[in-house]
Amino acid sequence: MFNIQTHMDFEGQNRAEKISRAIITFFGFAGLIWGAIIQQFSQTIYILAAGFVLALLITIPPYPLYRRKPLNWQKSKNQNSEGGESSKKNKQK
Amino acid sequence: MHTVLTRGNAILAYTLSVLACLTFCCFVSTVFLDYRTNVKINAVKTLVKNVPNYGNNKELNDLGFITFDLQTDLSGLFNWNVKQLFLYLTAEYKTESNELNQVVLWDKIILRGENAILDFKNMNTKYYFWDDGNGLRGHKNVTLTLSWNIIPNAGLLPTLFGIGEHSFKFPDQYTMQPV
Repeated sequence: MFNIQTHMDFEGQNRAEKISRAIITFFGFAGLIWGAIIQQFSQTIYILAAGFVLALLITIPPYPLYRRKPLNWQKSKNQNSEGGESSKKNKQK
Repeated sequence: MHTVLTRGNAILAYTLSVLACLTFCCFVSTVFLDYRTNVKINAVKTLVKNVPNYGNNKELNDLGFITFDLQTDLSGLFNWNVKQLFLYLTAEYKTESNELNQVVLWDKIILRGENAILDFKNMNTKYYFWDDGNGLRGHKNVTLTLSWNIIPNAGLLPTLFGIGEHSFKFPDQYTMQPV
């Protein structure tokens, strides 16, 4: 459609998952402690929701952080994959 | 984790799992608490009439009229896993036809944050004190107790009896004039 690149490399996907889990776990734990201190479970949920939004912002867009180790693909042979190459060129335009 | 949607899905699913875990922690933190407390009840005015019960069988049944005093402090019962209390005042007595009669005379909802220190004087009941026969006149031992039902965020819905009860007797004569 708009041809926005959203892929991450394999290392980046692993890192994104680890970061998102760490953020949500940390906010959930902090929310539980804060909610227990002020005795309001709703505050626990709001803090967890803040962690959810932060995890979305940090790990969904494919920042350069998640694209540091791209795979080295073999170069395609011209005579065998003309059709594939032309379609790729169309996509990139 | 290779597209925007799979990442969003993974984050949402993990957040909901964490939320379930936190809710369980909230439940565990309050499940062993003792939610009983002291209650002072006193029956002030006690009358009994013999009138037709049109709501039931149109026969002459005993209808008790009482007013009561109630004094208790329930503010210690609230915590982060108690949304509201449902209080109800029960009259218990024994008649020839029934081993145990329980009639709910009055109730009240207290939301968390509302005033939970109750001090009522000479309160009227909310509901009719019907007996299913003629067992109330001259009854020597009718016991009033206050109970409450705890409505939590997560977990059990316990029903508890307040510590403290009050027994009273009904007069031997029916009251004839309107109350």
